[in-house]
Amino acid sequence: MNTLDALGTAAAIRAGRLSALEAAQAALKAIDTLDGRVNAFTAVTRERALTEAKAIDTARAAGHDLPPLAGVPYAAKNLFDIAGLTTVAGSKINRENPPAKDDSALVARMRGAGAVLVGALNMDEYAFGFTTENAHYGTARNPHDLTRIAGGSSGGSGAAVAAGMVPLSLGTDTNGSIRVPSSLCGIFGIKPTYGRLSRRGSYPFTCSLDHVGPFARSVADLAATYDALQGQDTGDYAQARRAMEPTRQLLKDGLGSLRVAVAGGYFKENAGPQALAAVEAVARALNVSREVILPEAQRARAAGFVITASEGSNLHLPDLRKRPDDFDPAIRDRFLANALTPVQWYMQAQRFRLWFFQAVMRVFADTDVIIAPATPVPATVIGADTFELNGRQMPARPSMGVLTQPLSFIGLPIVAVPVHGLGPLPIGVQVIARPWREADALRVAAALEYAGVASAPVAPL
Amino acid sequence: MTPDQIEKYVDAAAAALDLNLAPGHRPGVLENFTRLAQLAALVNEFPLAPEDEPAPLWKPGA
Repeated sequence: MNTLDALGTAAAIRAGRLSALEAAQAALKAIDTLDGRVNAFTAVTRERALTEAKAIDTARAAGHDLPPLAGVPYAAKNLFDIAGLTTVAGSKINRENPPAKDDSALVARMRGAGAVLVGALNMDEYAFGFTTENAHYGTARNPHDLTRIAGGSSGGSGAAVAAGMVPLSLGTDTNGSIRVPSSLCGIFGIKPTYGRLSRRGSYPFTCSLDHVGPFARSVADLAATYDALQGQDTGDYAQARRAMEPTRQLLKDGLGSLRVAVAGGYFKENAGPQALAAVEAVARALNVSREVILPEAQRARAAGFVITASEGSNLHLPDLRKRPDDFDPAIRDRFLANALTPVQWYMQAQRFRLWFFQAVMRVFADTDVIIAPATPVPATVIGADTFELNGRQMPARPSMGVLTQPLSFIGLPIVAVPVHGLGPLPIGVQVIARPWREADALRVAAALEYAGVASAPVAPL
Repeated sequence: MTPDQIEKYVDAAAAALDLNLAPGHRPGVLENFTRLAQLAALVNEFPLAPEDEPAPLWKPGA
């Protein structure tokens, strides 16, 4: 039951082979059985899940058309507002806030699509990290090896899906927080174009760079969920005014005439052997040998770091002044240091952002999709301060995002595609498209899944 | 920035922002600010033209 995917669950419910209540109860049971070891969840919304599931079963019994994700259990990173629950955003400080009055835009969209919310998921405090080693809520463990991290900051979102507790989850990505857990947990994730999906009701981190998006174990599930999450919402100033651009029906188009290339330079220099092997496997399956260079990617990563430092610390400055010891010790000193960022550095980074975007768009003039590794290495051991990358010792917490950060910096849509079997642990590859061309990245991901290169098996636990 | 410049800047900027750095926090703050300064230097040394404007754009009423 816990290996059933989202669309399979919805189809079984539509056909009457399974009730939404049974699906919800199975997910709740899986959480009860497995989460003691994984620690993906920080809250289980049992009552809400049973209520939402029964409403689906009632609608079916009454002969109503069921929405696309009817009865599919899912969970959301605990920075998304869930009506009746306090949005903790991985922090101790926000526990003092009153419960959210309304669902966030994405949770409301999932409800509208018939999905059944079973809980809220662990994350790095205030989304600031790539490891989900959280001092207040414990570490989210990697279901493929419980001694290792699930990645972050949406670590619970990655772990819950990889462990088979839910087929879908929601997360956010500022510098890699969807793509890093996808890579380390061996599942699919999509970070859409900046401004595509509404962030209303999601606790912010870095307004200039914050994205929201889903995780899944198949490309069809991912596309169906992404489609369900699209739509205009007045509550997010950064959301672009664009019509819905559904993707699921386009997956069957295959690669068609899409021109694919592999990112060289920085993206190879900062990849370990298994990350390079994953890119090679993907390139071979796509019959791609052409390499492109995204100029100044290292500076793009640095500029993303500076913008994150400035905006993230500004948001928390009052608490940093008043109660620094209530922050997770692992990030407190970074937040304090970041609060001191000179405005000249920030402005230069924002100017460089436009320069880099224009430079990358010139690369896209003759290329539709670019392949790059998602993380330098597979999941590291919990508590590790550093990891080795091609002979260099890298600080573990900030460095897992070196390959994702330059790309979210300019808001490109990216699907993280998991590659299993190259080592004891999975690792992901980024499939990067032009702005607003999520469908191109999803089509390439689907082709890789069809070719058997990309897959997301439930971790045996 | 030299280590000495960083120490002086961190203490002065923290004071100006009314951000009290506890003795137990200060070494970690200096370490993290040093890393931030190194990364910022990569951006700051890159030549930009006057027409390279900041990316954020105000959209009145959009």
